[in-house]
Amino acid sequence: MLKFLKQVGDYAKEAVQAGKYIGQGLSVTFDHMRRRPITVQYPYEKLIPSERFRGRIHFEFDKCISCEVCVRVCPINLPVVDWEFNKETKKKQLKHYSIDFGVCIFCGNCVEFCPTNCLSMTEEYELSTYERHELNYDNVALGRLPYKVTNDPMVTPLRELVYLPKGVMDPHGVPDTARRVGQLPEEILEKSEK
Amino acid sequence: MNSGIDLQEIFIESLMDLGIPPGAAKAIWMPLPMFLMIIGATVGVLVTVWLERKISAAAQQRIGPEYMGPFGVLAPVADGMKLVFKEDILPAQSDRLLFTLGPVLVVIPVFLSYLIVPFGQNLVITDIGTGIFLWVALSSIAPIGLLMAGYSSNNKYSLLGGLRAAAQSISYEIPLSLSVLAIVMMSNSLSTIDIVQQQSGYGILGWNIWRQPFGLIVFWICALAECERLPFDLPEAEEEIVAGYQTEYSGMKFALFYLSSYVNLVLSALLFSVLYLGGWNFPIPIDLLASLLGVSETDPWLQIITASLGIIMTILKAYFLVFLAVLLRWTVPRVRIDQLLDLGWKFLLPVSLANLLLTAALKLVFPFAFGG
Repeated sequence: MLKFLKQVGDYAKEAVQAGKYIGQGLSVTFDHMRRRPITVQYPYEKLIPSERFRGRIHFEFDKCISCEVCVRVCPINLPVVDWEFNKETKKKQLKHYSIDFGVCIFCGNCVEFCPTNCLSMTEEYELSTYERHELNYDNVALGRLPYKVTNDPMVTPLRELVYLPKGVMDPHGVPDTARRVGQLPEEILEKSEK
Repeated sequence: MNSGIDLQEIFIESLMDLGIPPGAAKAIWMPLPMFLMIIGATVGVLVTVWLERKISAAAQQRIGPEYMGPFGVLAPVADGMKLVFKEDILPAQSDRLLFTLGPVLVVIPVFLSYLIVPFGQNLVITDIGTGIFLWVALSSIAPIGLLMAGYSSNNKYSLLGGLRAAAQSISYEIPLSLSVLAIVMMSNSLSTIDIVQQQSGYGILGWNIWRQPFGLIVFWICALAECERLPFDLPEAEEEIVAGYQTEYSGMKFALFYLSSYVNLVLSALLFSVLYLGGWNFPIPIDLLASLLGVSETDPWLQIITASLGIIMTILKAYFLVFLAVLLRWTVPRVRIDQLLDLGWKFLLPVSLANLLLTAALKLVFPFAFGG
């Protein structure tokens, strides 16, 4: 009899504990209701990508010396460099250059190693197409000026959390001139050079 | 005790004054509340769907539907319209008759149960003597429909979902009925009107919530399980069995399942408020307020205010419970099937039985407080 009562008591204790945990969980969920949404209304508002963002690669045709370093450092030898040796000038002459962004992993090695800085990263990330072959950008497509969120009159650019002024959590209505939290990269550089 | 406005009597009397025979007058009256209730239940579902989406969004720090109408209130209407215009696909190897009959059998009992939901002393479609029993009986028809839908789809996920739904409904029906039985024992009646009547008189202090703390928890858990709401949504667990018995359904037939699940949720919330939260009663007794303000009980103004306050109170209480259900949905993870049956048979059943015994004992000892 006593053993049975003890069992009942333990069971009741467990049930109460379970109820307590559910209550704790409910209070967490309830607390979330008074927090502000972090939604970015995408086609109308867009986040400004960080300065280290690795988006679509930009290519400057005239700067390229067809050295093929980009091909060698690429994990999958992706860039296609089509050149011909010009016997008169004794230089390689670039005819076509292309990168297939359907295969590219945006590691940025080509940009890092390009000796003439003819490759660069942009903050463009809206690359979706109806057909995967459209992602194969040739030198004309690669040379187009990148889309910038801040230049689009239809879009409200929003700063990411770490680029907001100190203590501000909501990117809506923060003026362009408001200084971001912490030191700027230039300032860090200046300090280290001193 | 003043019984308040009786719309039915007034309507029939005024028709009889126009020279219509009493039988015909009653026949004209009858479809009106039924029609109103079906409309009310459907609108209630739309509101619930909208609330569910908005509260879910708030709990996850999102905005939720925003552009469809003010605050996105038209989002559920758009959902419904979409479902109406979608193609009604019949799987090739399915059983035609049972496949169609399944959702019908699920929807009809749920809507029928609205017969007994009171919004005021005389604001109920029928005050039948077996009121709450009718609901318990009707709610056990739905699993047949679910099983039918699952079996006739000729799909293993559907079959699994249907079997789970049947197992779940059957095991949670028993503690549900037992917890209702404890209430019935206190009010000496199965009629929902009598159950609310027995709770009125002392305002919030007289509600069954104080007399049935265990029954209340058991009832709410069982109601969630019957509605297949989140901690117990195994029959349609999308991570495991696609969508359970709804997998093969599309268009209007899917809409019927969707509708019935939300109508059932609102119904359970309404019945919870009737059984435990004093139905249409205001937290402070209105008679007391009226006598304090010096208003006569037969004042037509007071009667109108009482009636509308009753409807508002019932709906408010019900939607508070819907809110709780949505909040629970984002708090509690889904239980496994063995945990579900464990909880049903090894916890809720003994607890509800003990609660019944306790209520009987208390009724014998304190007949004034527990409805002698």
